[in-house]
Amino acid sequence: MSALGELQRLRGGGGAAARKRDNKAAAVFLLPWFVGLFVITVGPIAASFALGFTDYNLIQAPSFSGLDNFTRMLSDSRLHASLGVTFRYVGISVPLQLACALALALLLDRGLRGLAFYRSMFYLPSLLGSSVAIAVLWRQIFGADGLINQVLSMVGIEGRGWISDPSTALSTLIVLNVWTFGAPMVIFLAGLRQIPRMYYEAAATDGAGRWTQFWRITLPLLSPIIFFNLVLQVIHAFQSFTQAFVVSGGSGGPSDSTLFYTLYLYQRGFNNFDMGYASALAWLLLVIIAGFTVLNFWAAKYWVFYDD
Amino acid sequence: MRHPHPRRLATRAVLLGVAASLALTACGSDDAGSDNNNDNDNDNASAETELSDDPVTLRFTWWGSDERHQRTQDVIDLFEAEYPHITVRGEFKDWNGYWDSLATTVAANDAPDIIQMDELYLASYAERGALLDLGTVDGHLDTSGFDENALATGVVEGGQYALPVGLSAYSFVVNVDLLEEYGFDLPDDDTWSWDDLKEIGGEISEASGGAVTGVQSWGFDAGGVNIWARQAGASVYDDDGNVVIPPEVLADYWTYLSDLAEEGIAPDASTTIERSTAGLDQSGTATNNSVFATWWNTQLSSLTAASGSELQLLKLPGEADATAPGAYYKPSMYWSISARTDHPNEAALFVDFLANSEEAGGVLLTDRGVPANENVRSAIAGELTDTDTAALQYIDEITVGETPRVTPNGGSGIEAILGRYTEQVLFGQITPEDAAESFIQELQSEIDAA
Repeated sequence: MSALGELQRLRGGGGAAARKRDNKAAAVFLLPWFVGLFVITVGPIAASFALGFTDYNLIQAPSFSGLDNFTRMLSDSRLHASLGVTFRYVGISVPLQLACALALALLLDRGLRGLAFYRSMFYLPSLLGSSVAIAVLWRQIFGADGLINQVLSMVGIEGRGWISDPSTALSTLIVLNVWTFGAPMVIFLAGLRQIPRMYYEAAATDGAGRWTQFWRITLPLLSPIIFFNLVLQVIHAFQSFTQAFVVSGGSGGPSDSTLFYTLYLYQRGFNNFDMGYASALAWLLLVIIAGFTVLNFWAAKYWVFYDD
Repeated sequence: MRHPHPRRLATRAVLLGVAASLALTACGSDDAGSDNNNDNDNDNASAETELSDDPVTLRFTWWGSDERHQRTQDVIDLFEAEYPHITVRGEFKDWNGYWDSLATTVAANDAPDIIQMDELYLASYAERGALLDLGTVDGHLDTSGFDENALATGVVEGGQYALPVGLSAYSFVVNVDLLEEYGFDLPDDDTWSWDDLKEIGGEISEASGGAVTGVQSWGFDAGGVNIWARQAGASVYDDDGNVVIPPEVLADYWTYLSDLAEEGIAPDASTTIERSTAGLDQSGTATNNSVFATWWNTQLSSLTAASGSELQLLKLPGEADATAPGAYYKPSMYWSISARTDHPNEAALFVDFLANSEEAGGVLLTDRGVPANENVRSAIAGELTDTDTAALQYIDEITVGETPRVTPNGGSGIEAILGRYTEQVLFGQITPEDAAESFIQELQSEIDAA
């Protein structure tokens, strides 16, 4: 670049050519992202939308079937079962997980020695939580001869096959999800650090105890962070798949007690060669998640407090 | 199957011709042909059947136990030694993962070239055009060693879409060592009934004080329900592929199974379910935790290797009093070739090796069933281990009825549905009668929708 050009650019005048060049460079650098966006995100999304209106068995060409797939959902009892399982899973595991994350974050916020170490240790499970390896491990831990039952037998309690009993199978998956509280915990920690210390000092001077401080200062000031975590974890929990797939051997069993929505969707698509219906199911899931997110944002008006 | 527009086809044919004449070699035209192997059965048909001189890699997928993976790899090594320019990459899984991954890869147009196929899924894949008609590659695949009836089990809608590997039959495996340990005699399997099985099973559970159970409950496979239906003079499907098993027969079946669990003859429901999703190696038979269990006769060798105990095959209970024989020959599995393979000739050559080579037969023995190829069967007779011989003899000794109809297109989910209702019955969430009604309705609607 010539000295004159540089000067012009610095002055901000006559830089059209330079800006154009910059834009070109930006376009080149952004290209991989755009290709990725269209080829592996927007393309499949559009395709699945179109397939939702077809009868498609994966091997032969899809044939248009109108709204058949959507009307079929009304009378599909396994779909209703899977919705029940999924709602229970989201409704129980997300609040529990956030409560654990917040409790641990409060503890760690007390300027513990070796904080970085604990933070990493607690964060680790959320990196591993939805992996196949952990799901396999879970199956071992909660199996009839697994770790849990060995511990229980030491104190004289006879355990059971937690994962193979329909009344407890879903609970083991809820425990697994709660165990991955590290990600929201780290965010809570960051949020706690943002609360000005002077509020606490002022409150202490006025004679407020720890408990009052928590309810009157920490929670309200942290509510935007809680809201953020809530929205994120609800979306995340609705999409759970791997855990149930591995733990139940892909069946959603025993007797459909771990039949997550996504697992049922997978079964229809890949086990029953019913990809048109599976695509329609994927769109229903999108609508459900969007619905819950909207609901969350609406409810936020009543409890989230922005301090500005 | 969808065909491209005629004009585009013509353009492609011209391009193909140009490419072929430029390349001037057989492999050149073979490569060009691979781009659209579905619609170019035209001018270069003779070049089509020639093997490539260039290195070819084939993918071969199968399910099975560790024992089978090892034997199959040994056969691959033999084949590669004979045809150095062909590489065969094995992709093996257990039964559950196998079908998920096959459906996924077929949908992604990335199916393995050679596919181990099961009777449950044969019609589903063949009728949808995923498999190659083996008649089109008969230049490299010799089927003369197979009995007509055996070959017929691989025919779907007039095409030979699969080549049966072996024959197997449903059986009871008994752990002789455990039987001796608790002081029981081997039951007479010519006359024993289902009640006899219940009785001896219960006595064993009691004698062992809960250390082992007399029977390992079943109810998660199509074989168990097939034989139960057949003994009652019924069948699961009629010739048209409709579900015709009488609900009361099915209800009896589930009542029997839940009695076993309730009376402690078989393990409790959750243990049964845990084992049903684990592999053969973790079954009650393999871990010496159950004395009697249902298996396909040819699994005897793998089970014996896993358990280390002396195991023996018994004929099915109830055959003496049955309306019709419950036992039948099931093609244990098939070899199929993907319709979209780039190398149909080499794939056929490999299947030919698997099916006809006595050398390969000598390695595989009866792991995939008693070889359906009669030449191989007689060639390996002398090399068989005791358990393999027992499996072979079992096939000869039993009285079988008519072969059941091949599972209709859409019916491949039968085992998933069966398993789910068995779980619900075992946990007392549904009565056997309601389970029977719902099962029939659900399976029929899957078939209707396919």
